[in-house]
Amino acid sequence: MPRWQTYVAPALFIAPGFLIFAALILFPMVQAVLMSLYDVKVVAGAINAFVGLANYARALTDEHLWLSLSNSGLYMVLTVPPQIAFGLAIALLLQKTSPAQPFFRVLYYLPVVTSWVVVTLLFKYLFADRGLINYLLGLQVSWLSDRWTALVAISALGIWKGIGWSMMIFIAALQGVPAGLIEAAKIDGANPWQRFTNVTIPAIWPTIAFVIIMLVIGGLNVFTSVQAMTDGGPGGSTDVVLTYMYRQTFTFLDFGYGSTIAVLLTALVFALSAIQLRFFRNESTA
Amino acid sequence: MKKRLSPLETLRISTLAAGALVMVTPFVYMVSTSFKAQQYVLQIPPQFIPSPATLSNYERILLRGDFGQYFLNSLFVAVTATALSVFLSAMMAYGFARYRFPGREWLFRLLLLGLMIPAMMLIVPQFLIAKWFGLIDTLWGLIVFYVAGNLALNTFLLRGFFEALPQELDDAMQIDGATVWRRFTGLALPLARPALATATIFTFLATWDEYAWALTSITSPENKTLPIAIALLQGPKGTQWGLVFAASILAITPVIAVFLIFQRHFVQGLTAGAVKG
Amino acid sequence: MIFALTRRGALLSMAASAALLFAVPALADDVTITFWGSYGNGGNSTQQDALNNALIPAFEASHPGIKVKYVDIPYDSLLQKLTTSAAGGELPDLVRSDLGWVPQFAKLGVLLPLSDAMGDFKVLAGKTYPGVLATNLYKGKYYGLPLDTNTRVLVTSQAALDAAGLSAPPATFDELKAAAAKLKDKGMSVFADGGLGAWNIMPWIWSGGGDITDPDLKTSTGYLDSDQNVATVQMLVDLYKAGQIPNLIIGNQGATGTSDGLPSAAYANIFDGPWMAGIWKDQYPDFTPIYAPIPAGPGGSVSVVGGEDIVVTASSPNKDAALEFVRFTQSEQFQIEMVKTGQMTVHPDYADQQNAIAPYYATFATQLKTAKNRLAISSGSKVDGILNTELTAAFKGDVSVKEALSKAAAQIDALLAAENS
Repeated sequence: MPRWQTYVAPALFIAPGFLIFAALILFPMVQAVLMSLYDVKVVAGAINAFVGLANYARALTDEHLWLSLSNSGLYMVLTVPPQIAFGLAIALLLQKTSPAQPFFRVLYYLPVVTSWVVVTLLFKYLFADRGLINYLLGLQVSWLSDRWTALVAISALGIWKGIGWSMMIFIAALQGVPAGLIEAAKIDGANPWQRFTNVTIPAIWPTIAFVIIMLVIGGLNVFTSVQAMTDGGPGGSTDVVLTYMYRQTFTFLDFGYGSTIAVLLTALVFALSAIQLRFFRNESTA
Repeated sequence: MKKRLSPLETLRISTLAAGALVMVTPFVYMVSTSFKAQQYVLQIPPQFIPSPATLSNYERILLRGDFGQYFLNSLFVAVTATALSVFLSAMMAYGFARYRFPGREWLFRLLLLGLMIPAMMLIVPQFLIAKWFGLIDTLWGLIVFYVAGNLALNTFLLRGFFEALPQELDDAMQIDGATVWRRFTGLALPLARPALATATIFTFLATWDEYAWALTSITSPENKTLPIAIALLQGPKGTQWGLVFAASILAITPVIAVFLIFQRHFVQGLTAGAVKG
Repeated sequence: MIFALTRRGALLSMAASAALLFAVPALADDVTITFWGSYGNGGNSTQQDALNNALIPAFEASHPGIKVKYVDIPYDSLLQKLTTSAAGGELPDLVRSDLGWVPQFAKLGVLLPLSDAMGDFKVLAGKTYPGVLATNLYKGKYYGLPLDTNTRVLVTSQAALDAAGLSAPPATFDELKAAAAKLKDKGMSVFADGGLGAWNIMPWIWSGGGDITDPDLKTSTGYLDSDQNVATVQMLVDLYKAGQIPNLIIGNQGATGTSDGLPSAAYANIFDGPWMAGIWKDQYPDFTPIYAPIPAGPGGSVSVVGGEDIVVTASSPNKDAALEFVRFTQSEQFQIEMVKTGQMTVHPDYADQQNAIAPYYATFATQLKTAKNRLAISSGSKVDGILNTELTAAFKGDVSVKEALSKAAAQIDALLAAENS
């Protein structure tokens, strides 16, 4: 086949969507990267001064940026494993067809569906000094007054809201596990745990990879809940990368530096995702 | 043989129920507060039963007249954007899954890059592009950008499913003379129904709830979408949370409806029975 | 052409031309100016209704050819939308702008300097409260006019007065300290506030006789960390350490808010604005707030101005029409109509009318006479963060008050230097 013909068929499928993507996402992305190299004056038509890598130098020595990054990282580490574990567990429990199945699915999906602003307010209320959490656990913790306890509260919110999402994906994936393989394993005398690890997990491996990658991206990109719960307080100690970036861009009107932070975060997320993809691809070909 | 309420079954149901309770409690409180009038502050200790209960919040929302308009705007935008996005993504995912060509993985990684950049940093460049195309302050301006914004996630999700489809069925159809488009619509799409349903549910939710781009692009009151309308119910000098919760609950209903409609497609055994041996 | 051939056609074409002659000038003058604000936020539409149903029609009637379109925008997102629209060249003609945004946008060249563009600016400006007018000043020019204002005063309750054995709210720093001693065993905090930013701490600093910078906005060191300020802040830190001020002040968002703590008798005194009256009436019908001036220190009783200014964007294609609307907002009709909906007027001359409409405004109006403006520099939004961070450390006891104020002053020096360069 002539060289170009290998491109024809996939191009027909990929081009329409990719062109839209390139025009409306990739092109703005390039512009956002360019903005990081300038001292952007905001107003349309103003001349922006080229500053090269000055913004990046500033970012590397910006202590608060590193603090924000550590908070984003901590949030990600605290929220991703529970969402996967609980999401998969609930999906497994819900495998059995029963009249209650759609009912439970909706209940677990409700947190996903409720708006971030509303649920953050509710969790702020739950974790208040005289809120329900302290009441039920018999504690007197001032959750939102300290960086570490506030991170626990914010993470609890993230986990609670996200379980239904990964549950949904795992439910769809579990449908694709060939029943024949499970039957064969049963006949071979495998117990439920062995069936789970030797048949189910490998069968939904690509899905697990997808969920982990998406949750890591989402975890590092946490924003609305932190902004609404503490807005980085007290004293900026619970700032995450995106709340810091939002403040730089839209409160201090420093678009150039805001773009710089975005580029650095994207680079980090990209690197992590690439590593994860490599890992999962290797594991799955085994 | 069916044994009702075996110990294992009881454990399963009670675990699910306990978990569901944790999931649902904040929502229940939201519903309860939506029936309380003049709630500027959420009371401590929490009151789950509103007393006195009132329908005034719902009345104010439904009778304001413009809320119906915003609901329809959001509905139009979400349905159109979801349909277009899922379809285009399915095409892209099929292209990536079924074909090998040089540069395939790099192209795919470019797509994934779109998932990773914080959306808020793209808003200013996107605003300029939308202005250039005359899409500012229009619902189509929302639709087009929502489609673009969801392509990466949906393609990523669907590619895995298409890759898992057995090649033998595809080959069988090819031998029978089916065109690639026929194989796509007649074989791949139906088999990927659970994944398509998932993508539909998530894309609808994302476009229904999207706020930042809608706020930036829409100015005319008649083009507002629901998230903006609900944000307007919050004020810098005191918000009536009962009102906001009532509006939020009304706003959730289509999303739940879409969920219930499409989750029927998580039917087991579509692929299981298709391949023997 | 066919028409012109007949006599009837000639008459018709003459009538048509005549109609056109009259219509064209009107068509040429018909401009629509857009006005962005947050009047309708919060589900209470009285302000937006007053604007749309009474004020704008009145303006359009007296200014034929000008149409005003008001767009309501969520307050929390208004700055973001303005910024993006500025970058995209899609700004409205008029904005009801937060006070702190005026210097920022003025610096970027987004706003029209009204002191240059309006011949009658001095007259209009002279009618407003000086502290409120000052919020529009940037590098010698005024970029807006006051639209509405508010301020903070002391709010207390009968329960608090009884618990402290007082017959009147504490009027001086010393009276507050004395009340603290009496409230110690009653389980009530003598004072509570929601943070340590400029909005929170400046009333204390000004009333204590100090300031944040020199009058020319050149330096902060020597002013913010003056002995007077150290004494004022030390007073608050001592109360905090004695447990008489809750940790809400250092940013604990889980603590009971001031608007909740006062009616529920957890807090004895708070600072708050006029908008709370309506909210308390709804949620705590049995509670009657008692308003009083900020406790006086060596500097008198001085509070901080809040409110909004009206600005015209430099990119507006309808500047004359927009300026006409600005003049209209300074008129008695506009000011009084908005007072009826819960705003406060920016003209001391209308204070009596205002007090007649809502008597509890009297305390606020008096406080406004001496109220001052926060630091009006383009990077003013950073000042709150600096104050919060440094002062929190002082309250926690990690550093002395003098050290905290000096550190804050040094950082503000950097901001001022950038501003003046």
